[in-house]
Parts: sequence; structure tokens; C-alpha cells
Amino acid sequence: MQQVIIFAEHQGGHTRKVTYELATEARRLADSLGGKAHAVALGGGAASLVEQLKRYPLDVIHVSEDPDVDKFLIDPVVDYVEALARSLGPSIVLIPNTMYGRDVAGRLAARLGAGLTSDVTDIKVENGKIDCISPKLGGAAITACTFKNAEYGVVTVRPNAFSVEASGGAAEVRQLEKPAGKTYRMVIEEDVEEGTGELGLEEAPAVVAGGRGLGGPEPFQTLLKPLADALAGAVGASRAAADAGWVPYSLQIGQTGKTVSPPLYIAVGISGAIQHKVGMRSAGTIVAINKDGGVPIGEFADLLVVGDLFAIVPELTKLVQAARAAHA
Amino acid sequence: MKIVVTVKVVPDPNSTKRIDPNTKRLVRSGADNVINPYDEYALEAALQLKEKLGADTTISVVSMVPENSKEVVRKALAMGADDAVMLSDSAFEASDVWDTARVLAEAIRKHGFDLVICGGLSDDGSTGAVPGALAEHLGVPGLTNAKRVDVTDGKLKIQRETDSGYQVVSGPLPAMVSVTMGVGEPRYPSLKGIMGAKKKTIAMSSHAELGVTDALGAGSAKTELLDVKPPPERAKGQVVTATDGAEGAKIIFDFLQQKKLV
Repeated sequence: MQQVIIFAEHQGGHTRKVTYELATEARRLADSLGGKAHAVALGGGAASLVEQLKRYPLDVIHVSEDPDVDKFLIDPVVDYVEALARSLGPSIVLIPNTMYGRDVAGRLAARLGAGLTSDVTDIKVENGKIDCISPKLGGAAITACTFKNAEYGVVTVRPNAFSVEASGGAAEVRQLEKPAGKTYRMVIEEDVEEGTGELGLEEAPAVVAGGRGLGGPEPFQTLLKPLADALAGAVGASRAAADAGWVPYSLQIGQTGKTVSPPLYIAVGISGAIQHKVGMRSAGTIVAINKDGGVPIGEFADLLVVGDLFAIVPELTKLVQAARAAHA
Repeated sequence: MKIVVTVKVVPDPNSTKRIDPNTKRLVRSGADNVINPYDEYALEAALQLKEKLGADTTISVVSMVPENSKEVVRKALAMGADDAVMLSDSAFEASDVWDTARVLAEAIRKHGFDLVICGGLSDDGSTGAVPGALAEHLGVPGLTNAKRVDVTDGKLKIQRETDSGYQVVSGPLPAMVSVTMGVGEPRYPSLKGIMGAKKKTIAMSSHAELGVTDALGAGSAKTELLDVKPPPERAKGQVVTATDGAEGAKIIFDFLQQKKLV
């Protein structure tokens, strides 16, 4: 494996920080492997995404605005990436570890007969051997995995695990040819916006999560959302809050929900049982607000403030807003 | 209609798991194995479909597990699945995504199916890649991350969860669907279900019986586990009591500033 390809996930040209994390890591990997760093951007808005990607140290950006990509579920995307990988030869494909990314990864690996490593937080290259580090068993084990019996490696990369460097962008842009002879059967009939999770929870730089202590659905909007906005982050929830119907399950963090590792995690009215802990224990800094000083989250949070969350959060939001305004 | 649900068996997610730094093995403090929680949602989706479509719909569980997992698989039957196939063979040990997907595909093809329903992730390996890979190996459409699954006039329609809401996606049968928690809380086995499950068939199938002739497991896997380590432990941090909102906010804000997070 020598070439490196990143899959630039986006919606109508809007992408997330993880794409730039992949681009930065692709450069480092390509240099270690003696290959080139490629990116692939597909579907409506891909051309505007290319303009963003050009700021990063990639060698080639492959693009197609084929409308089939947005009309049919996933198959056109896998076809394009598969064709690109085959044309470049033995390569490693980096894909964000998101709901969509995991789906692309599984299919692509099956097509290419590739090895697949998932939720990777670090990649080490030694004498051409690629070791992928990733947490497993809800973070209870850190594993190192390598590829064998395969010409291709597919890696899903945990958002917020790699740094971003926008420098040395001089990428060549190439139009991709449509893979021939394909028919698509999974039709996207409708796209319904529910106004939740505008920013992908798994990729947000800060997560403000609420639990049973919030007492109902309203505080997620009136209390947590403004704080998350001020921190340019996203709102999450514990299972108790999702089970109570206060928020959609797509916001649930922990077992049977999402795993996040943002630089900052603020747990509001969440006790921090093991089911929640497995979804957020690798966050950079964990701050908890709870009326009970004896909650389990106190055992692993960097700071637990014991007090009334309904009084603290609005004041904290004001302080963060003021700091941002002063900074801007 | 013939529905197949894939079921993995995992260490109980509610148990505290720890890696012994010396042996590099998982230390389970009295933890039992359970059905992968995500697969319980797949079963729930299948049972809801059967309720809608009527009695001529059957639900079979296909599970790639060690032989001693029979009682865990039986819980799926107690929840309401009609029968189960256990793929148990020491040759399957150390299977990665590649091997798991093609062994499951072979067994499911042999069993026959109109619809395969998978959980979105496993609680232990968490690659989330098997459903997509399985659809590829089966050569059928794979509709993923469904929070609602409907079959009408032999056509499949799902609501597919996205970061910003959902998509309505349709496709033909046979197909593979993976589900999210949005399908609804998995039912508990009833007493009648538990009694009935004892009489249901759990067929065993080995490597040879499947007709997969090439090597499997450690010999053919495309990834190799090199090392397992316990994670760095998070130390207990500060615990501070705030008498009012302003004080609590100030404590947090100062802390965030010190960490350069605001």
C-alpha cells in the first residue's frame, strides 16, 4: 500500500473539520509510504468543496458532481471510490468514522478485498507496515492492528483524533469518469430536515450533553443549545433523556448511541454511569455540573461543579459569549 | 416473507471490562455474554414487520458464535424469532470484517431470504462495517441506519437516520437493512416466549457444511491484531461546590480559560 486516498464526506459542499484532519494525516502518511495524497469529493456541491480542500497539502483532488450520487443511496459513491482506488493501485483509504462513513467503508472493503480497521485514533508507519491504533470494547481496550493478505486498507478515522494543518496546498484537480454499466436500485425519495444535530455530534469540537437532571425537553433548547452555540459545539444527551423522549435517539451518547471525543465535553445533569462513560471517556477535558457531589462522573471528570444547573448554565453561557465577543 | 436477523454475542456491555496489562486479555468480573444490544433492535424491527405482514412471515436468526452461546441465542427465539442457525467452528476464530461478512453471506444465502436485518454496530468490535460488507457479499441493495422499516407490495421503504433528520429510501427485495435505536425499544421475552423457545430449532453449521472451501479466520483475515492495552486511566479531578449560578459559572469559565478551551 502506497497511495493514500481520503473520502471527503460532505453535504452540498459543506464539510466538517474531520475532512481536514484526514487531509493533513493523508500528507503525513503518503510521505511515510512514498506515495501521493489523494482526495475524492462526490455529488452536488463537490466543486465548492474542492476549493476548501485546495488549502490542504494534498497532491490530487478527484471530483465528480454526478447527480446520481444524491439520487441514489451510497452505491454510486462506492463505485466511484472503488474505481479510483483500482486505478491508483495498492492504497490506503481514510474515511471518517461517521454513520455514513462506516457504511462506505464496509462496502468498499468488501469490493476491494481490503483489510478494514475502524475508529482509528492514530496511525504508525514503520518500514512500510501500517499500524492502526483504536479503542475497542467501549474504550476499555486500546488495540493495534495491521493489514495482511490485502493490497488495500480501509480505515475509518475517529473525528477529533488528528490535528489539522492548512498549508502547502497545491493540489491538481481531476474530473472523475462515471463508472460504466451501473444501475442503481436504492432511491432517495425524500430528505427530511428535523433541525437536530446541525453539526455532527461525533465531529463537534465541544459537546454539551444533558441527562435526567434537565427534567424535560425544553432545557435542551433553552439551556444547552445556547451554551453549545457559544462554544461552536453540539448538544448531546444521555440515554435516560433519549428514552424519556426529550431528544431524538440521534443525540444519544454512550452504549447503543454515539461515541464522541471532542476537546471539551460538558455533562449537565448526567450521573455518568458506565453506559454513558463508554461514549465520552476519551474526550479531551470533561466538565460536569450536577446537584449531587457523589455521582459516578465525579470519578473521572476533570472538574465537577456541584450546584444548580439551571442557575449555572445561563451564567456560563453569558461568560463564554462575552469572551467570544471580546475575542472577535 | 423470509426474514433473517444477524445476531452477535458480546460481553455484557453493562459490566465493567478491564484489560489485564500483563496477559493483555479481557478480564470479565462475572460478566456473562449477551445478545449484542444493537442486534436486539434488529430483532425488534423484524418482529414488528412480522406483526404487520402476517403469519406466513418467518424470522430466522443467523449467529456466528462459539458453540457455548446456545442459551444466549435462545433468548432471540424467546423474543419471538422462529428458528436459529449457529455458525460455530474453531476455524471462524479471529475472523475480521472480511471473513465475518462472507461467512454470514454464505450461510444466509444457503438459508434463503427476502430481507436481512442487522444491528448497526457491535458493542465490542464496533466497526459498523459488517452490514454494508454483507450487502456487498450477498449482492443485494443495502439500506442502512433505518429508524423505520416498511414492506408494501414486495417493495422496501425505510426512514434512514441522518445527522440532520432522515431520508426516505426505497428499494426492491431481496435486500439488507440495518437499523438504529429509532425502531423502538426491544421487547422482553414473555413467559410463553421463553417456554416456546425451548422447542424451537437451533441448527448448527460448521465451516465444511457451509461450503466455504478457502481458508478462514486467522489464515485469511486481512487484518491482524498486534497488541491490546488498557486505556490511560482518567484521574479523578476537582470537585467544587457552588453556592449560586454566578459562582458555579465562574469556576467553570476560569477552568476552561486555564485549559485554553474558551
